[in-house]
Amino acid sequence: MIEIQGLTKEYDGRRVVDDLSFEVRPGLVTGFLGPNGAGKSTTMRLVLGLDRPTAGRALVGGRPYTELTQPLRQVGALLDAHALHGGRTAGGHLRWLAASNGLPQRRVDEVLAQAGLADATGRRIRGFSLGMRQRLGVAAALLGDPPVLLLDEPVNGLDPEGIRWIRNLLRELAAEGRAVLVSSHLMTEMALTADHLVVIGRGRLLADATTAEFIERHGRTRIRVRAVNPTKLAALLGSDLLRQSDPDADLAATQVDDGAWEVTGAEPEQIAALAAAHGVVLYEIAVQQDSLEEAFMRMTADNVEYRAEAAA
Amino acid sequence: MSPDPDPDPGSDSVPIFTALNAERIKLTTLRSLWITPLLSFVLTAGGTTAVTAALGGKDHTITDDPGVGVFYGLNFGQAALACFAILLIGQEFNTRMIDVSLTAVPRRGRLYGAKLTLGALVGLGVGSAGTAGSFAGYAATVPGAWDGPGFARSATAGVLYPVLLVVFCLGVTTLLGNLTAAMGLLVPVVFLLSPLLGGVPGVRRVVQFLPDRAGQYALHYADDPRVSYGHWTGLLIMALWTGAAAYGGLLALRRAK
Repeated sequence: MIEIQGLTKEYDGRRVVDDLSFEVRPGLVTGFLGPNGAGKSTTMRLVLGLDRPTAGRALVGGRPYTELTQPLRQVGALLDAHALHGGRTAGGHLRWLAASNGLPQRRVDEVLAQAGLADATGRRIRGFSLGMRQRLGVAAALLGDPPVLLLDEPVNGLDPEGIRWIRNLLRELAAEGRAVLVSSHLMTEMALTADHLVVIGRGRLLADATTAEFIERHGRTRIRVRAVNPTKLAALLGSDLLRQSDPDADLAATQVDDGAWEVTGAEPEQIAALAAAHGVVLYEIAVQQDSLEEAFMRMTADNVEYRAEAAA
Repeated sequence: MSPDPDPDPGSDSVPIFTALNAERIKLTTLRSLWITPLLSFVLTAGGTTAVTAALGGKDHTITDDPGVGVFYGLNFGQAALACFAILLIGQEFNTRMIDVSLTAVPRRGRLYGAKLTLGALVGLGVGSAGTAGSFAGYAATVPGAWDGPGFARSATAGVLYPVLLVVFCLGVTTLLGNLTAAMGLLVPVVFLLSPLLGGVPGVRRVVQFLPDRAGQYALHYADDPRVSYGHWTGLLIMALWTGAAAYGGLLALRRAK
Protein backbone atom coordinates (compact mmCIF):
# COMPACT_ATOMS: atom_id res chain seq x y z
CA MET A 1 0.00 0.00 0.00
CA ILE A 2 1.24 3.46 -0.91
CA GLU A 3 0.05 6.50 1.04
CA ILE A 4 0.69 9.92 -0.42
CA GLN A 5 -0.04 12.78 1.97
CA GLY A 6 0.08 16.42 0.95
CA LEU A 7 2.97 15.69 -1.38
CA THR A 8 4.45 18.84 -2.92
CA LYS A 9 7.52 19.33 -5.09
CA GLU A 10 8.87 22.60 -6.38
CA TYR A 11 11.64 23.01 -8.93
CA ASP A 12 12.97 26.56 -9.06
CA GLY A 13 9.77 27.88 -7.50
CA ARG A 14 7.57 26.05 -10.01
CA ARG A 15 5.15 23.56 -8.47
CA VAL A 16 5.39 20.27 -10.28
CA VAL A 17 3.47 18.31 -7.66
CA ASP A 18 0.96 20.34 -5.67
CA ASP A 19 -0.47 19.11 -2.36
CA LEU A 20 -1.23 15.64 -3.70
CA SER A 21 -2.94 13.08 -1.47
CA PHE A 22 -4.14 9.63 -2.45
CA GLU A 23 -3.72 5.96 -1.65
CA VAL A 24 -2.80 2.98 -3.74
CA ARG A 25 -4.62 0.03 -2.22
CA PRO A 26 -3.70 -3.65 -2.35
CA GLY A 27 -5.64 -5.93 -4.68
CA LEU A 28 -6.32 -3.21 -7.22
CA VAL A 29 -4.69 -1.84 -10.33
CA THR A 30 -4.66 1.91 -9.82
CA GLY A 31 -4.27 3.87 -13.05
CA PHE A 32 -2.31 7.09 -12.69
CA LEU A 33 -3.54 9.41 -15.42
CA GLY A 34 -2.70 12.86 -16.62
CA PRO A 35 -1.31 14.58 -19.67
CA ASN A 36 2.44 14.75 -20.26
CA GLY A 37 4.03 17.06 -17.74
CA ALA A 38 1.22 16.60 -15.21
CA GLY A 39 3.67 15.37 -12.57
CA LYS A 40 3.15 11.60 -12.78
CA SER A 41 6.82 10.67 -13.09
CA THR A 42 7.87 13.20 -10.45
CA THR A 43 5.32 11.74 -8.04
CA MET A 44 6.74 8.28 -8.64
CA ARG A 45 10.30 9.55 -8.11
CA LEU A 46 9.20 11.13 -4.84
CA VAL A 47 7.67 7.85 -3.70
CA LEU A 48 10.95 6.07 -4.45
CA GLY A 49 13.02 8.63 -2.58
CA LEU A 50 14.87 9.68 -5.75
CA ASP A 51 13.73 13.25 -5.23
CA ARG A 52 13.08 14.94 -1.92
CA PRO A 53 9.62 16.47 -1.48
CA THR A 54 9.27 20.19 -0.72
CA ALA A 55 6.40 19.28 1.60
CA GLY A 56 4.28 16.27 2.51
CA ARG A 57 5.35 12.67 2.38
CA ALA A 58 4.95 9.38 0.62
CA LEU A 59 4.86 6.13 2.58
CA VAL A 60 5.22 2.60 1.31
CA GLY A 61 3.94 -0.01 3.74
CA GLY A 62 3.84 2.75 6.37
CA ARG A 63 7.47 3.85 5.98
CA PRO A 64 9.37 6.24 3.75
CA TYR A 65 11.04 4.34 0.90
CA THR A 66 14.53 5.36 1.95
CA GLU A 67 14.04 3.61 5.29
CA LEU A 68 12.87 0.31 3.81
CA THR A 69 14.67 -2.90 4.64
CA GLN A 70 15.76 -4.46 1.36
CA PRO A 71 13.48 -2.21 -0.70
CA LEU A 72 13.26 -4.51 -3.72
CA ARG A 73 11.38 -7.01 -1.56
CA GLN A 74 8.84 -4.29 -0.73
CA VAL A 75 8.46 -2.27 -3.91
CA GLY A 76 9.11 -3.10 -7.54
CA ALA A 77 9.53 -0.11 -9.79
CA LEU A 78 9.90 0.58 -13.48
CA LEU A 79 10.73 4.22 -14.16
CA ASP A 80 12.66 4.58 -17.37
CA ALA A 81 13.41 1.60 -19.57
CA HIS A 82 16.40 3.46 -21.02
CA ALA A 83 18.14 3.97 -17.67
CA LEU A 84 20.33 0.90 -18.11
CA HIS A 85 23.87 0.32 -19.27
CA GLY A 86 23.72 -1.16 -22.76
CA GLY A 87 26.98 -3.02 -22.26
CA ARG A 88 25.54 -5.40 -19.69
CA THR A 89 23.56 -8.48 -20.54
CA ALA A 90 19.98 -8.79 -19.32
CA GLY A 91 21.10 -11.50 -16.90
CA GLY A 92 24.05 -9.43 -15.70
CA HIS A 93 21.84 -6.44 -14.97
CA LEU A 94 19.43 -8.51 -12.91
CA ARG A 95 22.24 -10.35 -11.13
CA TRP A 96 23.66 -7.22 -9.52
CA LEU A 97 20.15 -6.01 -8.67
CA ALA A 98 19.35 -9.32 -6.97
CA ALA A 99 22.66 -9.26 -5.09
CA SER A 100 22.05 -5.70 -3.88
CA ASN A 101 19.04 -6.86 -1.86
CA GLY A 102 20.28 -10.32 -0.94
CA LEU A 103 17.80 -12.00 -3.30
CA PRO A 104 18.55 -15.55 -4.49
CA GLN A 105 20.10 -15.67 -7.95
CA ARG A 106 17.46 -18.13 -9.16
CA ARG A 107 15.02 -15.19 -9.14
CA VAL A 108 16.93 -13.80 -12.12
CA ASP A 109 15.99 -16.73 -14.36
CA GLU A 110 12.47 -16.83 -12.94
CA VAL A 111 11.64 -13.22 -13.71
CA LEU A 112 13.34 -13.33 -17.12
CA ALA A 113 11.13 -16.29 -18.01
CA GLN A 114 8.09 -14.48 -16.61
CA ALA A 115 8.89 -11.48 -18.81
CA GLY A 116 9.37 -13.63 -21.89
CA LEU A 117 13.09 -12.88 -22.05
CA ALA A 118 14.46 -16.34 -21.18
CA ASP A 119 16.23 -16.55 -24.55
CA ALA A 120 17.75 -13.09 -24.16
CA THR A 121 19.49 -13.67 -20.80
CA GLY A 122 22.98 -13.58 -22.28
CA ARG A 123 22.33 -10.80 -24.79
CA ARG A 124 23.61 -7.27 -24.30
CA ILE A 125 20.89 -4.73 -23.53
CA ARG A 126 22.33 -2.44 -26.23
CA GLY A 127 20.68 -4.62 -28.87
CA PHE A 128 17.27 -4.64 -27.21
CA SER A 129 14.21 -2.99 -28.73
CA LEU A 130 12.24 -0.57 -26.55
CA GLY A 131 9.69 -3.33 -26.00
CA MET A 132 12.39 -5.72 -24.76
CA ARG A 133 13.78 -3.04 -22.46
CA GLN A 134 10.30 -2.54 -21.02
CA ARG A 135 10.04 -6.28 -20.43
CA LEU A 136 13.44 -6.25 -18.73
CA GLY A 137 12.30 -3.32 -16.58
CA VAL A 138 9.20 -5.25 -15.56
CA ALA A 139 11.36 -8.30 -14.81
CA ALA A 140 13.54 -6.10 -12.57
CA ALA A 141 10.43 -4.81 -10.78
CA LEU A 142 9.28 -8.38 -10.09
CA LEU A 143 12.69 -9.55 -8.85
CA GLY A 144 11.94 -9.20 -5.14
CA ASP A 145 8.37 -10.52 -5.45
CA PRO A 146 7.17 -7.24 -3.90
CA PRO A 147 3.68 -6.51 -2.52
CA VAL A 148 3.76 -3.05 -4.15
CA LEU A 149 4.47 -2.29 -7.81
CA LEU A 150 5.02 1.07 -9.39
CA LEU A 151 5.25 1.21 -13.16
CA ASP A 152 5.71 4.38 -15.20
CA GLU A 153 4.30 4.02 -18.73
CA PRO A 154 5.08 0.30 -18.99
CA VAL A 155 3.26 -0.19 -22.30
CA ASN A 156 5.41 2.34 -24.17
CA GLY A 157 7.06 0.65 -27.10
CA LEU A 158 5.30 -2.68 -26.60
CA ASP A 159 3.70 -4.45 -29.55
CA PRO A 160 0.04 -5.57 -29.32
CA GLU A 161 1.09 -8.94 -27.91
CA GLY A 162 3.26 -7.17 -25.33
CA ILE A 163 0.46 -4.78 -24.36
CA ARG A 164 -1.83 -7.73 -23.85
CA TRP A 165 0.87 -9.46 -21.78
CA ILE A 166 1.34 -6.49 -19.47
CA ARG A 167 -2.42 -5.98 -19.11
CA ASN A 168 -2.89 -9.59 -18.00
CA LEU A 169 0.18 -9.45 -15.80
CA LEU A 170 -1.03 -6.34 -13.96
CA ARG A 171 -4.47 -7.90 -13.44
CA GLU A 172 -2.85 -11.08 -12.08
CA LEU A 173 -0.53 -9.17 -9.76
CA ALA A 174 -3.48 -7.24 -8.34
CA ALA A 175 -5.52 -10.43 -8.02
CA GLU A 176 -2.69 -11.85 -5.90
CA GLY A 177 -3.33 -9.01 -3.48
CA ARG A 178 -0.59 -6.60 -4.55
CA ALA A 179 -0.96 -2.85 -4.80
CA VAL A 180 -0.25 -1.82 -8.38
CA LEU A 181 0.20 1.79 -9.50
CA VAL A 182 0.58 2.19 -13.24
CA SER A 183 0.84 5.47 -15.07
CA SER A 184 -0.17 5.91 -18.65
CA HIS A 185 -1.55 8.43 -21.08
CA LEU A 186 -3.25 5.68 -23.09
CA MET A 187 -6.86 5.93 -21.94
CA THR A 188 -8.24 2.93 -23.77
CA GLU A 189 -5.52 0.78 -22.23
CA MET A 190 -6.24 2.12 -18.75
CA ALA A 191 -9.98 1.52 -19.19
CA LEU A 192 -9.17 -2.15 -19.77
CA THR A 193 -6.63 -2.49 -16.98
CA ALA A 194 -7.36 -0.18 -14.07
CA ASP A 195 -9.91 -0.76 -11.32
CA HIS A 196 -9.27 2.62 -9.80
CA LEU A 197 -8.13 5.91 -11.26
CA VAL A 198 -6.09 8.76 -9.89
CA VAL A 199 -6.12 11.68 -12.30
CA ILE A 200 -3.77 14.64 -11.95
CA GLY A 201 -3.23 17.81 -13.95
CA ARG A 202 -0.51 20.36 -13.31
CA GLY A 203 0.50 18.40 -10.23
CA ARG A 204 -2.93 18.59 -8.63
CA LEU A 205 -5.39 15.84 -7.87
CA LEU A 206 -8.34 16.08 -10.26
CA ALA A 207 -10.08 12.78 -9.53
CA ASP A 208 -9.72 9.73 -7.30
CA ALA A 209 -12.45 7.21 -8.09
CA THR A 210 -13.13 3.76 -9.46
CA THR A 211 -12.96 3.57 -13.23
CA ALA A 212 -16.73 2.98 -13.48
CA GLU A 213 -17.52 5.92 -11.18
CA PHE A 214 -15.20 8.16 -13.11
CA ILE A 215 -16.82 7.41 -16.46
CA GLU A 216 -20.29 7.76 -14.97
CA ARG A 217 -19.48 11.07 -13.33
CA HIS A 218 -17.60 12.72 -16.14
CA GLY A 219 -18.88 10.89 -19.21
CA ARG A 220 -22.27 11.24 -20.87
CA THR A 221 -24.87 8.78 -22.07
CA ARG A 222 -25.88 9.39 -25.66
CA ILE A 223 -28.79 7.89 -27.54
CA ARG A 224 -28.07 7.26 -31.15
CA VAL A 225 -31.15 7.22 -33.40
CA ARG A 226 -31.73 6.58 -37.07
CA ALA A 227 -34.99 6.90 -38.97
CA VAL A 228 -36.31 5.38 -42.19
CA ASN A 229 -36.90 8.94 -43.37
CA PRO A 230 -33.86 11.02 -42.29
CA THR A 231 -35.49 14.29 -43.41
CA LYS A 232 -38.43 13.82 -41.05
CA LEU A 233 -36.05 12.91 -38.20
CA ALA A 234 -33.98 16.02 -38.87
CA ALA A 235 -37.13 18.14 -38.85
CA LEU A 236 -38.18 16.64 -35.52
CA LEU A 237 -34.86 16.72 -33.65
CA GLY A 238 -33.61 19.91 -35.29
CA SER A 239 -36.69 21.84 -34.10
CA ASP A 240 -37.76 22.92 -30.63
CA LEU A 241 -40.10 19.94 -30.36
CA LEU A 242 -37.48 17.87 -28.60
CA ARG A 243 -36.81 20.44 -25.90
CA GLN A 244 -40.53 21.16 -25.47
CA SER A 245 -41.22 17.45 -24.92
CA ASP A 246 -39.42 17.63 -21.57
CA PRO A 247 -38.64 21.26 -20.61
CA ASP A 248 -37.11 20.28 -17.27
CA ALA A 249 -34.43 18.04 -18.78
CA ASP A 250 -31.37 19.34 -20.55
CA LEU A 251 -32.05 17.71 -23.88
CA ALA A 252 -29.78 18.26 -26.82
CA ALA A 253 -29.52 16.64 -30.22
CA THR A 254 -26.78 16.74 -32.79
CA GLN A 255 -26.57 15.22 -36.21
CA VAL A 256 -23.56 12.92 -36.38
CA ASP A 257 -23.35 11.26 -39.79
CA ASP A 258 -25.47 10.23 -42.77
CA GLY A 259 -28.79 10.89 -41.08
CA ALA A 260 -27.98 9.53 -37.61
CA TRP A 261 -28.54 11.77 -34.59
CA GLU A 262 -27.29 11.67 -31.04
CA VAL A 263 -29.45 12.85 -28.18
CA THR A 264 -28.12 13.54 -24.71
CA GLY A 265 -30.03 14.02 -21.49
CA ALA A 266 -32.93 11.79 -22.45
CA GLU A 267 -34.09 8.23 -21.86
CA PRO A 268 -34.50 6.02 -24.95
CA GLU A 269 -38.26 5.59 -24.23
CA GLN A 270 -38.76 9.35 -24.46
CA ILE A 271 -37.19 9.48 -27.89
CA ALA A 272 -39.18 6.49 -29.10
CA ALA A 273 -42.44 8.04 -27.85
CA LEU A 274 -41.64 11.43 -29.38
CA ALA A 275 -40.85 9.84 -32.74
CA ALA A 276 -44.05 7.80 -32.66
CA ALA A 277 -46.12 10.89 -31.80
CA HIS A 278 -44.77 12.66 -34.85
CA GLY A 279 -44.96 9.71 -37.18
CA VAL A 280 -41.22 9.22 -37.52
CA VAL A 281 -40.30 5.57 -37.94
CA LEU A 282 -37.05 4.73 -36.14
CA TYR A 283 -34.99 1.68 -37.00
CA GLU A 284 -32.11 2.23 -34.60
CA ILE A 285 -32.05 3.35 -30.99
CA ALA A 286 -28.71 2.65 -29.34
CA VAL A 287 -27.54 3.76 -25.91
CA GLN A 288 -23.87 4.72 -25.92
CA GLN A 289 -21.66 5.45 -22.92
CA ASP A 290 -18.71 7.79 -23.24
CA SER A 291 -15.35 6.05 -23.30
CA LEU A 292 -12.79 6.73 -20.59
CA GLU A 293 -10.95 8.93 -23.05
CA GLU A 294 -14.06 11.02 -23.72
CA ALA A 295 -14.82 11.23 -20.01
CA PHE A 296 -11.22 12.29 -19.35
CA MET A 297 -11.28 14.97 -22.04
CA ARG A 298 -14.62 16.25 -20.76
CA MET A 299 -13.34 16.31 -17.20
CA THR A 300 -10.13 18.15 -17.96
CA ALA A 301 -12.07 20.58 -20.14
CA ASP A 302 -14.50 21.16 -17.26
CA ASN A 303 -11.61 21.90 -14.96
CA VAL A 304 -11.26 25.64 -15.51
CA GLU A 305 -7.91 25.84 -13.83
CA TYR A 306 -6.52 23.01 -15.83
CA ARG A 307 -7.78 24.52 -19.08
CA ALA A 308 -6.18 27.86 -18.21
CA GLU A 309 -2.91 26.09 -17.47
CA ALA A 310 -3.06 24.05 -20.63
CA ALA A 311 -3.64 27.14 -22.73
CA ALA A 312 -0.72 28.91 -21.13
CA MET B 1 1.34 -13.44 -2.35
CA SER B 2 4.92 -12.86 -1.24
CA PRO B 3 6.09 -16.34 -0.28
CA ASP B 4 9.10 -14.84 1.41
CA PRO B 5 8.00 -11.88 3.51
CA ASP B 6 10.68 -9.69 4.94
CA PRO B 7 12.67 -12.14 7.05
CA ASP B 8 13.88 -9.55 9.50
CA PRO B 9 11.95 -6.30 9.41
CA GLY B 10 13.93 -4.90 12.29
CA SER B 11 17.30 -5.17 10.62
CA ASP B 12 19.08 -2.22 9.11
CA SER B 13 18.57 -1.59 5.39
CA VAL B 14 20.91 -3.09 2.78
CA PRO B 15 24.14 -3.80 4.65
CA ILE B 16 27.38 -2.42 3.29
CA PHE B 17 28.71 -5.86 2.40
CA THR B 18 25.62 -6.68 0.32
CA ALA B 19 25.94 -3.35 -1.45
CA LEU B 20 29.63 -4.03 -2.05
CA ASN B 21 28.83 -7.43 -3.50
CA ALA B 22 26.36 -5.80 -5.90
CA GLU B 23 29.04 -3.31 -6.96
CA ARG B 24 31.42 -6.20 -7.57
CA ILE B 25 28.89 -7.84 -9.90
CA LYS B 26 28.34 -4.51 -11.67
CA LEU B 27 32.09 -4.41 -12.34
CA THR B 28 32.41 -7.96 -13.59
CA THR B 29 29.39 -7.67 -15.88
CA LEU B 30 30.69 -4.64 -17.77
CA ARG B 31 33.70 -5.09 -20.02
CA SER B 32 35.06 -1.53 -19.74
CA LEU B 33 35.16 -1.83 -15.95
CA TRP B 34 37.44 -4.85 -15.75
CA ILE B 35 39.52 -4.18 -18.85
CA THR B 36 40.71 -0.75 -17.69
CA PRO B 37 42.33 -1.96 -14.41
CA LEU B 38 43.90 -4.85 -16.29
CA LEU B 39 45.21 -2.42 -18.89
CA SER B 40 46.51 -0.19 -16.12
CA PHE B 41 48.56 -3.05 -14.70
CA VAL B 42 49.91 -4.02 -18.11
CA LEU B 43 50.87 -0.43 -18.95
CA THR B 44 52.47 0.15 -15.54
CA ALA B 45 54.60 -2.97 -15.31
CA GLY B 46 55.04 -3.40 -19.06
CA GLY B 47 55.81 0.27 -19.63
CA THR B 48 58.62 0.22 -17.10
CA THR B 49 60.03 -3.05 -18.37
CA ALA B 50 59.90 -2.02 -22.02
CA VAL B 51 61.56 1.35 -21.45
CA THR B 52 64.27 0.09 -19.11
CA ALA B 53 64.95 -2.89 -21.35
CA ALA B 54 65.45 -0.52 -24.26
CA LEU B 55 67.43 2.18 -22.47
CA GLY B 56 68.16 1.13 -18.92
CA GLY B 57 71.47 -0.61 -19.46
CA LYS B 58 72.91 2.16 -21.61
CA ASP B 59 71.50 5.45 -20.49
CA HIS B 60 71.46 6.02 -16.78
CA THR B 61 70.32 9.61 -17.08
CA ILE B 62 66.64 8.74 -17.23
CA THR B 63 66.97 6.35 -14.33
CA ASP B 64 69.15 8.52 -12.17
CA ASP B 65 66.61 8.06 -9.39
CA PRO B 66 65.54 4.39 -9.27
CA GLY B 67 62.08 5.54 -8.06
CA VAL B 68 61.59 7.47 -11.28
CA GLY B 69 62.78 4.58 -13.40
CA VAL B 70 60.77 1.90 -11.63
CA PHE B 71 57.56 3.85 -11.92
CA TYR B 72 58.09 5.07 -15.45
CA GLY B 73 55.22 2.85 -16.59
CA LEU B 74 52.89 4.33 -14.01
CA ASN B 75 52.72 7.45 -16.16
CA PHE B 76 50.80 5.38 -18.71
CA GLY B 77 49.11 3.01 -16.28
CA GLN B 78 47.55 5.75 -14.19
CA ALA B 79 45.64 7.10 -17.20
CA ALA B 80 43.89 3.76 -17.63
CA LEU B 81 43.21 3.58 -13.91
CA ALA B 82 41.73 7.08 -13.83
CA CYS B 83 39.49 6.11 -16.76
CA PHE B 84 38.37 3.09 -14.75
CA ALA B 85 37.46 5.24 -11.76
CA ILE B 86 35.63 7.83 -13.86
CA LEU B 87 33.70 5.11 -15.70
CA LEU B 88 32.89 3.20 -12.51
CA ILE B 89 30.53 5.92 -11.26
CA GLY B 90 30.31 8.17 -14.33
CA GLN B 91 28.55 5.65 -16.55
CA GLU B 92 25.79 5.42 -13.94
CA PHE B 93 25.19 9.15 -14.25
CA ASN B 94 25.26 9.17 -18.03
CA THR B 95 22.94 6.19 -18.46
CA ARG B 96 20.82 7.44 -15.51
CA MET B 97 21.24 3.93 -14.09
CA ILE B 98 22.05 5.73 -10.84
CA ASP B 99 18.25 5.89 -10.30
CA VAL B 100 18.04 2.10 -10.50
CA SER B 101 21.00 1.80 -8.12
CA LEU B 102 19.36 4.21 -5.67
CA THR B 103 16.06 2.32 -5.69
CA ALA B 104 18.02 -0.84 -4.86
CA VAL B 105 20.22 0.86 -2.24
CA PRO B 106 18.32 4.00 -1.14
CA ARG B 107 20.89 5.10 1.45
CA ARG B 108 23.09 7.28 -0.69
CA GLY B 109 26.04 7.12 1.67
CA ARG B 110 25.93 3.35 1.60
CA LEU B 111 25.82 3.10 -2.17
CA TYR B 112 28.64 5.63 -2.43
CA GLY B 113 30.64 3.89 0.30
CA ALA B 114 30.33 0.58 -1.53
CA LYS B 115 31.45 2.23 -4.76
CA LEU B 116 34.49 3.86 -3.10
CA THR B 117 35.42 0.65 -1.29
CA LEU B 118 35.29 -1.38 -4.48
CA GLY B 119 37.30 1.26 -6.33
CA ALA B 120 39.89 1.38 -3.54
CA LEU B 121 40.19 -2.42 -3.57
CA VAL B 122 40.74 -2.44 -7.33
CA GLY B 123 43.28 0.38 -6.88
CA LEU B 124 45.02 -1.69 -4.20
CA GLY B 125 45.14 -4.71 -6.50
CA VAL B 126 46.49 -2.72 -9.44
CA GLY B 127 48.90 -0.87 -7.13
CA SER B 128 50.30 -4.05 -5.60
CA ALA B 129 50.58 -5.97 -8.85
CA GLY B 130 51.82 -2.93 -10.76
CA THR B 131 54.47 -2.13 -8.15
CA ALA B 132 55.67 -5.73 -7.93
CA GLY B 133 55.72 -6.00 -11.72
CA SER B 134 57.51 -2.67 -12.13
CA PHE B 135 60.24 -3.55 -9.63
CA ALA B 136 60.65 -6.99 -11.17
CA GLY B 137 60.90 -5.56 -14.67
CA TYR B 138 63.32 -2.87 -13.54
CA ALA B 139 65.52 -5.27 -11.57
CA ALA B 140 65.70 -7.62 -14.53
CA THR B 141 66.75 -4.98 -17.02
CA VAL B 142 68.74 -2.36 -15.10
CA PRO B 143 71.96 -3.34 -13.40
CA GLY B 144 72.61 -1.66 -10.10
CA ALA B 145 70.75 -0.77 -6.97
CA TRP B 146 66.98 -0.73 -7.00
CA ASP B 147 66.85 -1.54 -3.27
CA GLY B 148 68.75 1.50 -2.07
CA PRO B 149 67.53 3.85 0.65
CA GLY B 150 64.03 4.97 -0.13
CA PHE B 151 63.01 1.61 -1.62
CA ALA B 152 60.52 0.72 1.10
CA ARG B 153 58.86 4.13 0.93
CA SER B 154 58.77 4.13 -2.85
CA ALA B 155 57.22 0.66 -2.97
CA THR B 156 54.62 1.61 -0.34
CA ALA B 157 53.74 4.74 -2.29
CA GLY B 158 53.52 2.64 -5.46
CA VAL B 159 50.80 0.58 -3.80
CA LEU B 160 48.95 3.51 -2.21
CA TYR B 161 49.13 6.01 -5.08
CA PRO B 162 46.69 4.03 -7.31
CA VAL B 163 44.30 3.63 -4.36
CA LEU B 164 44.25 7.38 -3.73
CA LEU B 165 44.02 8.14 -7.45
CA VAL B 166 40.93 5.93 -7.88
CA VAL B 167 39.13 7.39 -4.87
CA PHE B 168 40.07 10.93 -5.93
CA CYS B 169 38.67 10.38 -9.44
CA LEU B 170 35.52 8.73 -8.05
CA GLY B 171 34.97 11.70 -5.76
CA VAL B 172 35.45 14.31 -8.47
CA THR B 173 33.23 12.42 -10.92
CA THR B 174 30.46 12.15 -8.31
CA LEU B 175 30.90 15.82 -7.45
CA LEU B 176 30.43 16.72 -11.11
CA GLY B 177 27.70 14.10 -11.59
CA ASN B 178 28.73 13.70 -15.19
CA LEU B 179 31.02 11.25 -16.98
CA THR B 180 31.99 13.54 -19.85
CA ALA B 181 32.75 16.50 -17.61
CA ALA B 182 34.90 14.33 -15.35
CA MET B 183 36.87 12.92 -18.29
CA GLY B 184 37.29 16.40 -19.69
CA LEU B 185 38.54 17.81 -16.41
CA LEU B 186 40.59 15.00 -14.90
CA VAL B 187 42.37 13.50 -17.86
CA PRO B 188 43.94 16.68 -19.29
CA VAL B 189 44.63 18.30 -15.92
CA VAL B 190 46.15 15.27 -14.22
CA PHE B 191 47.96 13.71 -17.13
CA LEU B 192 48.89 16.59 -19.35
CA LEU B 193 48.76 19.96 -17.65
CA SER B 194 50.14 18.92 -14.28
CA PRO B 195 53.31 17.14 -15.54
CA LEU B 196 53.94 19.82 -18.17
CA LEU B 197 53.47 22.78 -15.85
CA GLY B 198 55.57 20.96 -13.28
CA GLY B 199 58.52 21.75 -15.51
CA VAL B 200 57.82 25.48 -15.70
CA PRO B 201 59.87 27.17 -12.96
CA GLY B 202 57.43 29.84 -11.74
CA VAL B 203 54.22 27.79 -11.95
CA ARG B 204 55.96 24.84 -10.40
CA ARG B 205 55.65 26.26 -6.89
CA VAL B 206 51.87 25.94 -7.14
CA VAL B 207 51.64 22.89 -9.38
CA GLN B 208 53.69 20.81 -6.95
CA PHE B 209 50.67 20.79 -4.65
CA LEU B 210 48.37 19.15 -7.23
CA PRO B 211 47.38 15.64 -6.12
CA ASP B 212 49.27 13.67 -8.75
CA ARG B 213 52.50 15.73 -8.41
CA ALA B 214 52.44 15.46 -4.62
CA GLY B 215 51.59 11.75 -4.57
CA GLN B 216 54.22 10.83 -7.15
CA TYR B 217 56.95 12.60 -5.21
CA ALA B 218 56.68 9.81 -2.65
CA LEU B 219 57.76 7.38 -5.36
CA HIS B 220 61.17 9.04 -5.68
CA TYR B 221 64.16 7.72 -3.80
CA ALA B 222 66.08 10.99 -3.79
CA ASP B 223 65.14 14.41 -2.46
CA ASP B 224 64.33 17.08 -4.98
CA PRO B 225 65.49 20.53 -3.77
CA ARG B 226 62.81 22.21 -5.92
CA VAL B 227 60.00 20.46 -3.98
CA SER B 228 59.06 22.27 -0.80
CA TYR B 229 57.78 19.24 1.17
CA GLY B 230 58.96 15.77 2.12
CA HIS B 231 58.14 12.47 0.41
CA TRP B 232 55.63 11.26 2.97
CA THR B 233 54.11 14.73 3.16
CA GLY B 234 53.57 14.49 -0.58
CA LEU B 235 51.48 11.36 -0.14
CA LEU B 236 49.62 13.08 2.68
CA ILE B 237 48.85 16.07 0.44
CA MET B 238 47.39 13.68 -2.13
CA ALA B 239 45.41 11.95 0.64
CA LEU B 240 43.95 15.33 1.66
CA TRP B 241 42.88 16.03 -1.93
CA THR B 242 41.35 12.55 -2.05
CA GLY B 243 39.49 13.02 1.21
CA ALA B 244 38.13 16.36 0.07
CA ALA B 245 37.03 14.95 -3.31
CA ALA B 246 35.38 11.93 -1.66
CA TYR B 247 33.52 14.15 0.81
CA GLY B 248 32.47 16.56 -1.95
CA GLY B 249 31.12 13.63 -3.93
CA LEU B 250 29.12 12.44 -0.92
CA LEU B 251 27.58 15.88 -0.42
CA ALA B 252 26.70 16.13 -4.11
CA LEU B 253 25.09 12.69 -4.13
CA ARG B 254 23.11 13.43 -0.97
CA ARG B 255 21.82 16.73 -2.26
CA ALA B 256 18.65 15.41 -3.87
CA LYS B 257 17.25 17.10 -6.91
